[in-house]
Amino acid sequence: MDNNDLKVMTFLAYKNLTKSKVTFMVIVAVMAMSFLSITFFASIIDGLGYEFEEGMIRGQTGHLMIEPQEDELYIYDSAKLVKNIRRIPEVVGVARRQDASAVARHENIEIGNPVLFIEPENEKHVSDYWNSVLVGEYLSQRDTEELLIGANLVKSYAEEGDTQKRFDVDVGDRITLSFSNGFVKEYKIKGIYKTGSRFVDDKIIINFDQYQAIFNSTDDVASNILIALPERGMEEYYTREIIDLGVSEQINQWQTKMGAVNQFVGSLQITNQITGTIGLLTAFATIYIIIFINVTNKRKQIGILKAVGIKKQIILGSYVLQSFAYGITGVIIGNVVMQLLLLLLSIHPLNMPIGPVIPILTTERLMVTSATLILASIIAGFFPSKKAADENILDAIFGG
Amino acid sequence: MGRAIIKTEHLERVYINGAVKTYALRDISIEIKEGEFVAIMGKSGSGKSTLLHQLGLLDKPTKGNIIIDDHDVINISEKERTRFRLDELGYVFQSYNLIPELTAIENVYITPMARNFKKEEYEKMAEDILTAVGLNDRMYHYPSELSGGQQQRVSIARALVNKPKILFADEPTANLDSASSEDVINLFRKFNQEIGQTIVMVTHEIEEGEKADRIIWVKDGLLDMDKQQNI
Ligand SMILES: Nc1ncnc2c1ncn2[C@@H]1O[C@H](COP(=O)(O)OP(=O)(O)OP(=O)(O)O)[C@@H](O)[C@H]1O
Ligand SMILES: [Mg+2]
Repeated sequence: MDNNDLKVMTFLAYKNLTKSKVTFMVIVAVMAMSFLSITFFASIIDGLGYEFEEGMIRGQTGHLMIEPQEDELYIYDSAKLVKNIRRIPEVVGVARRQDASAVARHENIEIGNPVLFIEPENEKHVSDYWNSVLVGEYLSQRDTEELLIGANLVKSYAEEGDTQKRFDVDVGDRITLSFSNGFVKEYKIKGIYKTGSRFVDDKIIINFDQYQAIFNSTDDVASNILIALPERGMEEYYTREIIDLGVSEQINQWQTKMGAVNQFVGSLQITNQITGTIGLLTAFATIYIIIFINVTNKRKQIGILKAVGIKKQIILGSYVLQSFAYGITGVIIGNVVMQLLLLLLSIHPLNMPIGPVIPILTTERLMVTSATLILASIIAGFFPSKKAADENILDAIFGG
Repeated sequence: MGRAIIKTEHLERVYINGAVKTYALRDISIEIKEGEFVAIMGKSGSGKSTLLHQLGLLDKPTKGNIIIDDHDVINISEKERTRFRLDELGYVFQSYNLIPELTAIENVYITPMARNFKKEEYEKMAEDILTAVGLNDRMYHYPSELSGGQQQRVSIARALVNKPKILFADEPTANLDSASSEDVINLFRKFNQEIGQTIVMVTHEIEEGEKADRIIWVKDGLLDMDKQQNI
């Protein structure tokens, strides 16, 4: 195959493509739609999974979570530890927390419920409670008589559809908390928050120093310390940095703290794998069939070209080139439309019950899908044209 | 009239369909001389097309040999046969068989293009031959925009553009009205007389046969009669 052969090959491919514009557009449209159907659904599922994880990270675990040593109830000397961790470059936020539970009461409704003690200012850097307040305000550092309550505990703000017990309260109303040690105190609702994550919207949140007041502990213990990093994927590095500080407590990465969410997201990913693979196979078959039919219809033409003395490889090459053109154009158009959709949905995320979901298209999925579709079109162009080019000239022309 | 340009030796072509054997050609030995205009005639099913396919290297005989221009064209590779068709032979089909995606001029210059001529050269070659067949005003039309007679003239131009040693034509006028048929035969005559083009044409029409130098009659795959005629 020399340069001139390539020229003839390209010429034939070009003429075929441009003369049959409708065929070209139909095939390219099928390719582009296959591309979209595979990537779009998958990217929503991935976005959903990401959103679940993000909800956990921004509500429950941080990127890293320091927890007491085994056999210990608390992290001791926690203030100093926080100060040291802050010194590690580019740590976004460090906040201590305490967990307890209490029986909350308003009028004649009583609900046993987790209580989260937070440092309001520090907490702003590791979670989203501060900007998830629906009505009222977020806690300030000095609030000792106020609490935040999750929307799921409040009748008028909860998602509907179940019969769970809820308070009929609003901002300014009072709720009495009774703790396990007998301590009872009335708090005023300062704000009602809703992050959108089911797992964290059912808490009562009060100030960190209330824990000392309630349980008579020293001020330097914490149940856990949350650390926010610039982005996901840096957990290993920072874990090592923190160990280097001489920390002997457990340092957990968010992945290990996800529990049910992990399994749920894992299931989503498996589902995605399966539907993705089926989608790829379907697209492969569809593209194969339409290109196959198209090339099979060119059998006579292939025979004529052979009859006038055009080399087999040139003819074959021109059809593979055409199929490649279908593939690459379809994939490019699919990509462009997909990127536009992603852009649109990043500006107007899909509002799902768990919160706003932005579709995520991984580079890997993009590459695999693109490569598969292009490969499908090349293979689909190759085999029928090879068959026609190998066949007896008279059979090809006269249909033997 | 000069030397033999085509020589066949005991050509046989058998089609085997399951248990059924059809002898399309039984034993054909002929010689055609350079510059001859030969008509092949015979009843339907007598083997005319089959013979032309063998000579035009579109098919291979079951037995026998073909020598074209002193070359054994049977015992060579498919690649060499393709090369031979491109460089030395031209073929005109009954149903034109143009490539629908190519314009008239592109249909014609595709082969000189494949023979590595430069763009200006192959365009000139195609223009010249299309002008010679009277289609200088239809060069950029697609086959679907041409009449049957015009399409057949494009296909003659395609067959002649490389100045082939031999032009083959299998019932080139069968799909045409009488005026267009006459045009085609007159073109053949003209090329034969003016540049000494060797032509082997299958036809059903005795008037067409009579315009050739010689008629080879085929019957049941055998040579029936070989008649020189003076025009
Ligand atoms: N591919 C094939 N398979 C089997 N038999 C064939 C094939 N092609 C031709 N034949 C047979 O070979 C014989 C000669 O056919 P051929 O086409 O050469 O006839 P012809 O003289 O050109 O007829 P016509 O004038 O109708 O075109 C016929 O009996 C035909 O049926
Ligand atoms: Mg015939």
